Amino acid sequence: MAGAGKRQRLALRLASIPMGLLALSCLYPMFFAVNNALKTRHDYLLDRFGLATQPTLDNFAQAWTGAHLDQYFLNSVIATVGAVLLLMVVSSMAGFALASLRFPYRRFLFIVILSSLMIPVQVVLVPYMRTMVALHLINTHIGLILSYTAFFLPFSVYMMTAFYSTLPRELIEAARIDGAKLFQVWWHVMVPLGMPALVTLGIINTLNCWNDILIALLTMQKNRTIMVGISALKGQYSDQIPLFTAGIVIAAAPIVALYVIFQRRIVSGIAAGAVKG
Amino acid sequence: MATNTIRQTAQGVPPRSPSRRRGRAEARAALLFLLPAVLLVLVFRIIPLFWGFGLSLTSATATTPGEFIGWGNYLRALDDPNFRASIANAGVVLLAVPLFVTIPMVLAILIDQGVPGRAFFRSVYFLPVVLSSVIIGSIFSIVLGFNGQLNGALKLLGIPGVDWLGQSATALPVTLVIQSWSTFGMGVLIFLAGLSTVPKDMVEAARLEGAKMWQIWWHIIIPELRPVIEFSTVITTIGLLTSMFGLIYVLTGGGPGTATTVPEYLIWAAQGRLNQPAYAAALSIILFVCTGILAWLQIRIMSRNANF
Repeated sequence: MAGAGKRQRLALRLASIPMGLLALSCLYPMFFAVNNALKTRHDYLLDRFGLATQPTLDNFAQAWTGAHLDQYFLNSVIATVGAVLLLMVVSSMAGFALASLRFPYRRFLFIVILSSLMIPVQVVLVPYMRTMVALHLINTHIGLILSYTAFFLPFSVYMMTAFYSTLPRELIEAARIDGAKLFQVWWHVMVPLGMPALVTLGIINTLNCWNDILIALLTMQKNRTIMVGISALKGQYSDQIPLFTAGIVIAAAPIVALYVIFQRRIVSGIAAGAVKG
Repeated sequence: MATNTIRQTAQGVPPRSPSRRRGRAEARAALLFLLPAVLLVLVFRIIPLFWGFGLSLTSATATTPGEFIGWGNYLRALDDPNFRASIANAGVVLLAVPLFVTIPMVLAILIDQGVPGRAFFRSVYFLPVVLSSVIIGSIFSIVLGFNGQLNGALKLLGIPGVDWLGQSATALPVTLVIQSWSTFGMGVLIFLAGLSTVPKDMVEAARLEGAKMWQIWWHIIIPELRPVIEFSTVITTIGLLTSMFGLIYVLTGGGPGTATTVPEYLIWAAQGRLNQPAYAAALSIILFVCTGILAWLQIRIMSRNANF
């Protein structure tokens, strides 16, 4: 910026004002939710704008147990953890095979997996649900885990294939000369080497699974996830905003924490995915 | 995109090994490694796609298999006021695509040019992207409700309240503003990645020659960003057609009336509330054809801009 003129610097400084307001608007919803969750119902009715003057945690306690968010939260944790681990295993195996092994129809299988990107849930909504019913997977954790894995898999396989194809094939040859079976090569060589990519995938898929509404709404009506639970709360507690916002805070907390801790990884991982995949 | 990686991976594989038996064992192992991925994608996505097409040609209900009625469900869609409304709404949504692309581009260029506070903007702009549409929709449903904070603030200024989400005239535009607010961080990220490939010395040279800021933007930076603009346009369009369900579900429930019913929402409603699975399947296939054309465009753009 050495040669930047005075006028340009002034223009940039002016631009930073609306950009700053936009940045504040990005922080506002979470502030709004936390602030109102700390008010009593009475306080909220008296003052919908101000800061919570006498903060209380009662709303969190009531949302957690009274509105069954504890159960919904647990369902989301089970589904998210299960699907993220399964996605790591399945995409690492597939990526290893596609990038490092020789076999017929390799290209074809790669295209089959990738092209399913073009089939979002909405496009197969009815037959997908019928498949879940036929396999007795409706309202089960394992059904949701398998669904998340299937719907978030192509991007993960693509990323692992791209990552593994940068590794030299000599690695595998060396391990095989030592007498290792391919499965052992995968587990002892490829999984540890792939960890950087796998961790990034794990974080991105955590966002995807935790935030999902449509798949869970279709298949987990009797065993709600946190997002399905929150959307149901919206109708029930429309006159108890502090309680409702406490639920929102509980549902958003894991993602906000994840973003604060892993911001760099999330941003670079999603950028890589958006640009390449 | 797809074709590129295949080419890359193909180059990484050396010529045939002398041992044929080992080659066959390797092929068998490879297929085993791929089995879980292929099976999941087949069972939950690819087979359902063909099954759904078959279903769309029948009069099936939730409980009866129905009978073959050919293109009946598709013809019915043409006469269905709900479907027509959803297509009209999708048209309105797609009219907003230029804004969804331009605003993040301008913000990214400003950040790239060193606007004061850029590190803060960069990290904060992405926060709404990681929040679930359920969270965002819930919060805005409170703020924008008739007795919500926005109307409360307007009242203080002496402006009468508006039922933002409850009347047809404002429901869709407001939903679109929220959608663009919650996703613009993604666009900023994509454009920042693209801006890192714009040659800095070219910009610097133009500046030394006395070019004005807008001239540099218009004649150097934006032309250099063309591939990113194309890419962003296509993925924004696909995103608007297939990822607004959560927000609409929480914010407006498709209403009032059909004011915010878009095709993906109508598919869900036809399947569940209206109990017309075969009709829903036909709508799904229509959506698939539209997004399929867009995805094909995306792959073409990406393979043409292979180096970006």
